[in-house]
Amino acid sequence: MHGPVTSTRIGQPVPRKEDMRLITGRGRYTDDLNVEGQAYAVMVRSPHAHAIIRAIDVRGALAVPGVVVVLTGADFIADQMKPIPNKTFSLHPAERPLVNSDGTPAFNVPDYPMPADKTRFVGEAIAMVIAESINAAKDGADRLQVEYEPLPSVTFTVDAAAAEAPRVRDEHSSNICIDAQVGDAEATEEGFRKAAHVVKVKTWIPRVAGSPMEPRAAIGEFNPQTGQYTIHTCSGSTLRLRRDLSLVLDVPEPQVRLVIRDVGGNFGTRGAIFAEQPLVAWAARRIGRPVKWTSERGELLLSDYQGRDLAVEAELALDANGTFLAMRGSNVGNLGSHTGNFSMVQKGVEIMSSIYRMPAAHFRVRAVLSHTAPTRPYRSSGRPEVIYVLERLIDLAARKTGIDRAELRLRNLVSLSELPYENPFGMVYDSGDYIGVMKRTLELADWKGFPARKKEARTRGKYRGIGVANYVDTASGIPREKARVTVYPDGSAEVVIGTISNGQGHETSFAQLVNEWLGVPFDKVRLVTGDTNIVDVGGGAHSGRGMRLGSIVIWGASNRVIDKAKQVVGLLLQKNPGDVAFDDGAFSVSGEPVMRLAEVAEAMAIRTDLPEEFRGTLCAECDETVNVAGFPYGCHACEVEIDPDLGLVEIVRHTAVDDVGRAVNPLIIHGQTAGGIAQGVGQALLEHAFYDASTGQMLAGSFMDYAMPRADILPSFITDISEVPSTTHPLGIRPAGEGGITPALGVIINAVVDALSEFGVTHMEMPATPERIWRAIHGKQQRSRIVPDAAEQEISLL
Amino acid sequence: MHDFVYHRPQDLTSAANLISGNPEAKLLAGGMSLLPSLKLRLAQYSDLVDLKSVATLQGINRDGDALVIGATTRHAQVAASDDVKQAIPALTVLAGGIGDPLVRNRGTIGGSIANADPAADYPSAVLGLGATVITNRREISGDSFFTGLFETALKGGEIITAVRFPVPLLSGYMKLPHPASRFALTGVFVAQTRSGVRVAVTGAGSSVFRAAAAEKALTADFSPAALDDITVDPDGLTSDIHASAEYRAHAIIVLAKRAVASARPQ
Amino acid sequence: MPFVSMTVNGVRQEAEVEARTLLVQYLREHLRLTGTHVGCDTSQCGACTVHVDGVGIKSCTALAVEYDGATVTTIEGLQHGNELHPMQRAFHEEHGLQCGFCTPGMIMSAIDMVRRNGYDLDEPTIRKQLDGNICRCTGYHNIVRAIQAGANAMRPR
Repeated sequence: MHGPVTSTRIGQPVPRKEDMRLITGRGRYTDDLNVEGQAYAVMVRSPHAHAIIRAIDVRGALAVPGVVVVLTGADFIADQMKPIPNKTFSLHPAERPLVNSDGTPAFNVPDYPMPADKTRFVGEAIAMVIAESINAAKDGADRLQVEYEPLPSVTFTVDAAAAEAPRVRDEHSSNICIDAQVGDAEATEEGFRKAAHVVKVKTWIPRVAGSPMEPRAAIGEFNPQTGQYTIHTCSGSTLRLRRDLSLVLDVPEPQVRLVIRDVGGNFGTRGAIFAEQPLVAWAARRIGRPVKWTSERGELLLSDYQGRDLAVEAELALDANGTFLAMRGSNVGNLGSHTGNFSMVQKGVEIMSSIYRMPAAHFRVRAVLSHTAPTRPYRSSGRPEVIYVLERLIDLAARKTGIDRAELRLRNLVSLSELPYENPFGMVYDSGDYIGVMKRTLELADWKGFPARKKEARTRGKYRGIGVANYVDTASGIPREKARVTVYPDGSAEVVIGTISNGQGHETSFAQLVNEWLGVPFDKVRLVTGDTNIVDVGGGAHSGRGMRLGSIVIWGASNRVIDKAKQVVGLLLQKNPGDVAFDDGAFSVSGEPVMRLAEVAEAMAIRTDLPEEFRGTLCAECDETVNVAGFPYGCHACEVEIDPDLGLVEIVRHTAVDDVGRAVNPLIIHGQTAGGIAQGVGQALLEHAFYDASTGQMLAGSFMDYAMPRADILPSFITDISEVPSTTHPLGIRPAGEGGITPALGVIINAVVDALSEFGVTHMEMPATPERIWRAIHGKQQRSRIVPDAAEQEISLL
Repeated sequence: MHDFVYHRPQDLTSAANLISGNPEAKLLAGGMSLLPSLKLRLAQYSDLVDLKSVATLQGINRDGDALVIGATTRHAQVAASDDVKQAIPALTVLAGGIGDPLVRNRGTIGGSIANADPAADYPSAVLGLGATVITNRREISGDSFFTGLFETALKGGEIITAVRFPVPLLSGYMKLPHPASRFALTGVFVAQTRSGVRVAVTGAGSSVFRAAAAEKALTADFSPAALDDITVDPDGLTSDIHASAEYRAHAIIVLAKRAVASARPQ
Repeated sequence: MPFVSMTVNGVRQEAEVEARTLLVQYLREHLRLTGTHVGCDTSQCGACTVHVDGVGIKSCTALAVEYDGATVTTIEGLQHGNELHPMQRAFHEEHGLQCGFCTPGMIMSAIDMVRRNGYDLDEPTIRKQLDGNICRCTGYHNIVRAIQAGANAMRPR
């Protein structure tokens, strides 16, 4: 997979610096921190999907020994606290926000961290009990009397879009927040008119729970003398979270200090502000002492921001040679009960045609509210869903036209010479060797050898299938980032930046960048993130922006450090700065080494004969706004073997070739791919945040029912890296973080359907559980994925 | 969880005295069933009586044509025992598949069967081998021990001391793991015992049960093919978000066949 | 309140704790050994794995009082001075961790796996025996490699 480490520069699989504290139990996760005098909070959560909160009687709770106070949503509003701001769409210049077809603005209302009027999903926090110990707080919570008036609820996406569905928001005439059209309706219709073949899929990509291993937590402090809040928490963003917290707490930003240290995974579940973060801060001010809150897994499954949940009807039109002519359809995304973030449906539809040549496309896109936990972007936001849809359509088209599935794809992939390529939704793919990468995947997956393996499996009574899927990711995210690079007289360097690592290894990969560009030894590069007292600009880590933007601003800052240092060298040695060369940490003039970088830093620190602007620390900043997006792409193949008697699926081989433009640390990249694949397997075969449509209850409320992938159901993966430099990044880098999962749903389901094709199976919904497979084999009706004992209804979006 | 008084008696009589007459007292062995329910505040007790220091409850012994396993013997010990492997290899397989290795380091047979989780593995062995549950007061036939959902024939103050498993001629255990909990989505224990064929099913109903039609067919011919035309009625079987009663009914036969196939000496 | 005395990472510790105190709570809150983590509430994820009297257990499903008199090793107690335990080193070299939250439990569980199965662990064995430890970041690929390498490195020379 990767060779031995020969240096600590860019491109080397350097083992990580952050490991040392993590493998010795010295990580600093939020719950590890304790603050003098802290009280403990326990949240009381709604047992109803939709109900009016008639009354909350706190007397019983307050009578419990150790309980300090009980706070409710009404208290929050009475204290002039503000609601949580919503993001709505990605406003990245390379993307397009969705616009209602009728010209009205997208429906968007802010939500309070705890509602005062109504509860809108099972698990929503409606009160906060604060006590001297967690047990006392739980005892208090047990004695809280809440009078609810249950109301009808709707949880399933398609049902929520119906005019007669129970409304989540009284202020709006329906649950539909956005109803937009994208693409070219006329050209698309023309494409379908000319078509020799049309294939169709109706599918629902169900709701999942991101489930990072660290339960989310927050500690709030308030200093009444300075009026400053301090919040310790886990998050994927530093400055954006600080800004949102200051808006909710209604104070100027400088009055909120946010500290994020180690974070035990994110994947989007904690990319945005979550209710308990402002609540603990506010509570700390109320009671005059710090307040600590840590969730339990059951709470997480119910109330973390959840992911996916998209209902799609789509069609693909082809000519007689199998050339794609057009695609069309309807996507309905489920926002849950908050209008927090619509970008998932946007980011999905904008690459609906993936990296295939698609002359025309037209889609209706809707986002609906429902009485379920709010959804937010979850690893590769919106894209695994749509890639799955197109890859399913292609396999169906292969069956219909009789053209080999791999051949059909190769024929339609955008070729090198056609790039940059504008897809029918206006996204411009920069560069890439899509065909080359697909061919490499087929080779690594031994696509040609499959028929023999399939035959051998049959002798053991097993059915093998293979799938292949191409993908593209839009790497955008918040466009602005800043880094400050400082070199010290002791030869060390510090990088202060607004991104934050939740496991992606930035301490290591950023150190490699500085080692390469400034020659500072790898072990002497420190990364400073996560504390708003130190970091003042930046957007966090999401959408692959950590390395993509981080590299640009660190490079920019490093270059400015070198330029400044050259000036100093010139002054000290009476040389023209233009004659000073820099390489690997040292300056030379006419080929003769003259000074090392650390010596320049020392000179600036101690020499009094330098002009004022060159005295002090050797540091420089770079603050960039990157308005282009990156487009990582790749191809994966999956081979499965199915036990037909029980419907058990074994993944026997999973192959991935992902193009990262230029690999900074292949070790980390392969690791990210493996993790993404596993999450894809999870959704394809196991996971479902199952909302019972008849009761509104989420029935997978613990790991006893929410099936997490374990090591025993996964194989070792074959992962390969392709490096075709991105033409929209100065260093050629494409982000790697989401490539593992983006094609996973499509490739795994295609493999399963292929395995079952001789039983006449043409499609499989997710999760493809053993029962679902067994039923498909025997032509039995499938069980509903929204009502436990009912039969599956065909989803109709029209 | 709610607090309690913790006791660590050194002998069985003291343990029995601690729980006798006190319905708020609960026995603690490996804690792998009890502690999770206390943590989730699904139950609360005034006293926990830890049996781990009662030496007489430990141990695996061959007693004539029976294998006697002490109530506080850990799953890991049963799975690693040569005596068990020689006498009842299906029990080695069963014990080695309970939970995960760390759970097996603590969980005990007594705790498991006293809890009577409808998806636990051991109840299928107790029923499938026609075992006897020995308590500090009496002996209870395995056929009468499991009475309902998390219910057993144990009376207040009664302590399981051991389980006596008659050594069968042949036995096999096949489990379809629940994808999330890793309990038995369905598990089938088959045995050709000295007093006839038994097929015990766990995970498919509110309590472990015997599949009479399968037993009849295997009595005539103890081979997988004998079950070709046997079906189990889904009516009364468990249906949940992971599997329907219909699927479980189907799985019972598939697993029974595989259990029979595995019972054959290699 | 019951009095509990146990040797933790070589140091004798004594405290009065409520009987309901879980071993993991005792370690994290009383002894401030926060390397052992709580990741779930149903005893499945394994992030809380420690060694008690040489055997791996899930400390979230054990009471501190049960282990009065016992010898406990947590992730913090694996090193000898500055020298990492071979399993720790293997996790580092093989990139067997990303966010690190499941990692202490993985390492402790892996060491117990070696105790049960020896130094020559093959992939199927490792994958099967790791079903009590959940990771969300790595896809287990490098964890398996790390355990294989770590087990081999634990072989007495």
